[in-house]
Amino acid sequence: MLPMPVAPAPQVVERPAVDETADPDRPWIVLVWNDPINLMSYVTFVFQKLFGYSLEKATELMLDVHQKGRAVVSSGSREKAELDVFRLHEHGLWATMQRDD
Amino acid sequence: MARWQFRPPVERTRHGFRLHLAERERVAVRHLLEEMRDLLVGPSDHPALRRVFPAAYHLPEHAEHDAEYQRLMREELVASRVAGIETVLGVLDAKVLSDAQVTALMQALNGLRLVLGTVLDVSEDDEPEEIDDDDPLAAERHLYGFLSWLLEWTVRALSAGLQD
Repeated sequence: MLPMPVAPAPQVVERPAVDETADPDRPWIVLVWNDPINLMSYVTFVFQKLFGYSLEKATELMLDVHQKGRAVVSSGSREKAELDVFRLHEHGLWATMQRDD
Repeated sequence: MARWQFRPPVERTRHGFRLHLAERERVAVRHLLEEMRDLLVGPSDHPALRRVFPAAYHLPEHAEHDAEYQRLMREELVASRVAGIETVLGVLDAKVLSDAQVTALMQALNGLRLVLGTVLDVSEDDEPEEIDDDDPLAAERHLYGFLSWLLEWTVRALSAGLQD
């Protein structure tokens, strides 16, 4: 065991590059990326089925994925985002998550 | 003479879904699904599975989170896909299929397309109707086209039941 220091050394406050604990409520976003395999009708249907989006909303998101390369399809706590990513992976979509900046 | 009418391969009826596939089409789907099941339970780093198991965290700063996700969820993903394939293998010859069984079919067909599309290195610019007979993978490209057709109709049949 290390001996206790007699007097505290001068503290240098180091900021970690990524502060994971700063704001636990800061939401995460789930992204779906464009890929050349998944059918447009299939992607639209999966968005409707998993997130309860209307056909109009789901189609808009699918077109964003197709034309802009990616779209944010859901957001929330890390646990919720991870579950959404998992459900999208179960359906073969290229989904990832990151903090909402 | 009876009027010719196109019958979709997956049809929603009042009593459930019906599959209208020729015997050789069922044999092909069954064979592909059995191969997919073997692939899923084999070595997890097989290049054909790249799109089946994507990263969950794409930023390098979250590499540790992703390693944890892969460790915890990969097995779940495999189990979920294998269970879906077993469901489909069990109902391919059934007279009537439920919504859940057709959903399993949809996910399984999409999984097959992901693997075949990865092997064929499909790109956005590929024209499905232009398959060169001299291409050594011509047969696989036709198979990919068949799966696309079948998946498209499966999605259409399921979509008809969604509330908008």
